[in-house]
Amino acid sequence: MKLQTALGAFSGFGLVYMMVMVFTLTPVETTQGFVQKIMYIHVPSAWVGFLAFFLCFVFSIGYLWKREEKFDMLALAAAEIGEVFCAITLITGAIWGKPTWNTYWTWDARLTTTLILFLIFMGYLLLRKFIDPGEQQMRFAAVVGIIGFLDVPLIHQSVVWWRTLHQTSTFFQTNKEKVIDPNLAAMLWISVSAFTLLFIWMLLKRNGIERERRNYLRRLAEQA
Amino acid sequence: MNTWTLLKKDLQLDLRSLENFLSMLFFAVTILLLFAFALPLDDASHRLLAPGLFWVVFLLSGILNLNKLFQIEKENSCMEALLMSPISRGSIFLAKMAENMIFVLAMQVILIPLFSLFFYQDLLQHFFSVLGLSFLTCLGFSSLGTLLGGLTTDVRFKEILLPILLFPLLVPLLLASVILLKSVINGAGLGAELDWLKLLVGFDLVFALLSYLVFDYVMEF
Repeated sequence: MKLQTALGAFSGFGLVYMMVMVFTLTPVETTQGFVQKIMYIHVPSAWVGFLAFFLCFVFSIGYLWKREEKFDMLALAAAEIGEVFCAITLITGAIWGKPTWNTYWTWDARLTTTLILFLIFMGYLLLRKFIDPGEQQMRFAAVVGIIGFLDVPLIHQSVVWWRTLHQTSTFFQTNKEKVIDPNLAAMLWISVSAFTLLFIWMLLKRNGIERERRNYLRRLAEQA
Repeated sequence: MNTWTLLKKDLQLDLRSLENFLSMLFFAVTILLLFAFALPLDDASHRLLAPGLFWVVFLLSGILNLNKLFQIEKENSCMEALLMSPISRGSIFLAKMAENMIFVLAMQVILIPLFSLFFYQDLLQHFFSVLGLSFLTCLGFSSLGTLLGGLTTDVRFKEILLPILLFPLLVPLLLASVILLKSVINGAGLGAELDWLKLLVGFDLVFALLSYLVFDYVMEF
């Protein structure tokens, strides 16, 4: 519990620090101008979103393997948080895209993959809603979590061939030429770290809430 | 052997009434008519729209069959009996998947001439290429569909949930099939888009295997 509070405080501090840095010390990008600053939310949100879905996949495997409820609760928490950050990624991307690409939406590979991923895990959460709580719910959700995540490479490959416009990833460059100013890169790393801390804190928090909720429901059922 | 017995049972039951097959087929024809009315009538735009439309009709009507796939076992607790009998879950999966494939492909055999009658004439010239492509598309569709169809059998709002779960997962399949069909219509054949063909076959193999393996977890008892 103490660790969680410390983590929360730390990520809160990180976010404030990041915001101050973004608007004061970080230089304005030359070609894109002020709008580029939204990247310090967009990029870390995308990272956290994908990380969350990956963790949901891992916890789903964990559940089917070990059959312990804690994996199911973690998978649920990861999927929910992933959806939120995925939505933030899509929205901030659209806001950035209008002045930069002159369109809110384009069927670019990474946009499309993110959207489909968002839809897949929306289905995952809906499935959980439509099944009564219990062992079956956990099992089915885990199956969908695994299948859904394994589909992502195929989806990505197919939409890359279909059409693409997005600039290549800044962090996972294959050519070593400098595409980003070191100041901006440092800022990006700070924001990614702050968001990751925030994500871990949210994951633990959501997991705790879910445990309380299930305990409560169980006690309610026992009394009835 | 078990798979064959189960498949024979399902085919026998379905062929006796044909209600699933007929409703699926006429649903497909109805959507086709809607598209014909809603979209521009000239040949040039029909040629452009045909590849995409063909697969949309396929998906929308194919999912009707998936919804009903496990419905038959719900009566008289047949599912429990099936799960208690000494048959592997994999056999049940293969039987259901084969059943779905047979009926959807049978629908395609009728749908291809109807599609060329109502929407795009030249499709019939490529009957066998389109049918072959349908087989590949159907393999991926049926494997994932059988898994998720089995999974949603007991779920509330399953008629809505199944497409919500299934269609996003099928995006690579749909893209590949549309582009391959375009290539077939243009006279270049399936070989012209070799990368897409590989992607389609890869999707089929990955998800046929994965669904076969994961099905055990869906059908626990």
